[in-house]
Amino acid sequence: MIIKPIVELKNLTKVIGNKKIIDDLNLSLYPGQITGFLGPNGAGKTTTIRMMVGLMKRTSGEILIDGKPLSEDFEEGLSKIGVIVENPEMYKFMTGYKNLLHFARMQSDISKERIDEVISQVGLEQRIHEKVSTYSLGMRQRLGLAQALLHRPEFLILDEPTNGLDPAGIREFRQYLREIAATENVSVFVSSHMLSEIELMCDRIAVIQNGKLVDIQDMTEPVQSHYYLEASPAEDAQELLLSKGFIVETMPVGLLLQAEKSQIPAIVQLLTANGIQVFAVQPHRKTLEDQFLEMTGGGQIAEAHTK
Amino acid sequence: MLKLIQNEWMKLWAKKGTWIMTLLLIAIVIGLMGLTKWINSQNTTEPTDWKTNVQEQLKITNETLQMDLPKSERKQTEETAKILEYRLDQNVPPLAQDSRESMIINPVGIGSLVVLLTVIVAAGIVASEFSQGTIKMLLTRPVKRWKVMTSKYITVLLFGMLLMLIGFVVTIACAYILFPSGGGQELKMDGNAIVSVPVWGHGLYLLILSFANVIITATFAFMIGSVFRSNGMAIGLSLFIFFTGNTIVLLLSNYEIVKYLVFTHMDLTVYEMGQPFVEGMTMPFSLTVLVVYLVVFLVISYSVFTKRDITA
Repeated sequence: MIIKPIVELKNLTKVIGNKKIIDDLNLSLYPGQITGFLGPNGAGKTTTIRMMVGLMKRTSGEILIDGKPLSEDFEEGLSKIGVIVENPEMYKFMTGYKNLLHFARMQSDISKERIDEVISQVGLEQRIHEKVSTYSLGMRQRLGLAQALLHRPEFLILDEPTNGLDPAGIREFRQYLREIAATENVSVFVSSHMLSEIELMCDRIAVIQNGKLVDIQDMTEPVQSHYYLEASPAEDAQELLLSKGFIVETMPVGLLLQAEKSQIPAIVQLLTANGIQVFAVQPHRKTLEDQFLEMTGGGQIAEAHTK
Repeated sequence: MLKLIQNEWMKLWAKKGTWIMTLLLIAIVIGLMGLTKWINSQNTTEPTDWKTNVQEQLKITNETLQMDLPKSERKQTEETAKILEYRLDQNVPPLAQDSRESMIINPVGIGSLVVLLTVIVAAGIVASEFSQGTIKMLLTRPVKRWKVMTSKYITVLLFGMLLMLIGFVVTIACAYILFPSGGGQELKMDGNAIVSVPVWGHGLYLLILSFANVIITATFAFMIGSVFRSNGMAIGLSLFIFFTGNTIVLLLSNYEIVKYLVFTHMDLTVYEMGQPFVEGMTMPFSLTVLVVYLVVFLVISYSVFTKRDITA
């Protein structure tokens, strides 16, 4: 059975002035899946997200929510989406509860019980009747999440959701997202700069650069196993291993060796037998950061930053 | 839509400033009435007989009629003279200056106060969503933008009406507490007959006329606030127009264009209280001009707001 995507972006394009901010973007998002949205600064992440939630108009292409174009029925489309765009800016002069009441009134049929339920879900019962101006950043984030969940969305869009959260808060937030994706079959779309964050949270990542989708990758795919090897003299070790048909790359310190775990003892034996001193062999995981830089080309980020 | 208005109303009154403005209005009205009372009590000269006063006024009015007057002013003056004669003939005294009735019959001061306060709310109701950053929360709901806009506009009008009502109620309360009832009657020409003017009805009517000014100035502030997303600019420009309007009308009074300026028509109470600024203006014409401006202001506000990309 093919799972129907909850959101589809089709040839989405946005032109501002004569610059193509988003160029022919195609992307499908599925229920129960957390998709990370990565890209250097200025790549078009926020613009894409803003078009998906109706804050910006698209130039061409289409956004389908549950199969229906957003441009045809904005209200129905948006009723399926929960949004946190950057920092959730709440009405600071009102209590947390009144803020939720405010957003609940803009949805159809949200009962008082549902509001209370969401409040306890995000753990704000104690302070909900205090003004938002007295809240810490973490509490505001929780309130932000509460407003996004009020109407039981099928699709949750989060733009830089962990901005300003402490490590414990980030962890909790991450677990929470995993949980609603798994139990309520919600599709989650998270944009972030924090690569390690995305790595821990997402099932899939989409990488955007200069308004174009560069790559979509499943995080659950088995990663080629790599080992970090420190040996002396390194040149000899590299030569020897290359001659045996291994793939070896040089690192700033030591070598990066592509091999299976079962091959390691034989490799160590081979090296010592040839008079090479082995100081360390340890499993090496290519981080998302490495992959990300490979995909986008490290220089691009710096370039985008200086803009 | 009702829920949206409820939301705006809740946000409005959750701000301290709104309460301060309302209390300020009440305080100023009470203050002004108190001041009037105090000034009257300082005035210890023997009250002159009303008949002597009316006779004197009649003399001046008749002298004015000898002069060369523009047509509409002549008609006005003739009417005044007729009413004064009628008072003497029928023994109908005018409303005493410090009577309860004369306080209630002329509550126009409230109008200008309410304009000032409503402009502040109208300027901020859209602009503040941008400056607080809440606009992106507000517009990512399953509600079309024009509905959000309408709920805000209606809230501004409701706020203006509420302030008018509060101002009027406070005026009446103060009038009853501070001033004694006087015997006189206000008279006016109705066709060829002279009729007495009902105190409450006339007060309320003037209030409604001055509400036109509230609507047009607030709508202007609403437009500037939503187009430029700047609260201060909206308040500044609107009050500038409110205060300099009359000067501009005076400066341009010799030109045809003055008829079509919004300033000329903002104060509808002139039709009740005396002369319109410009020769030959009538109430229906003024209303038409005001409605045209109102529609233009609203079309600009709505089209900018519904089309704008939110990048804040």
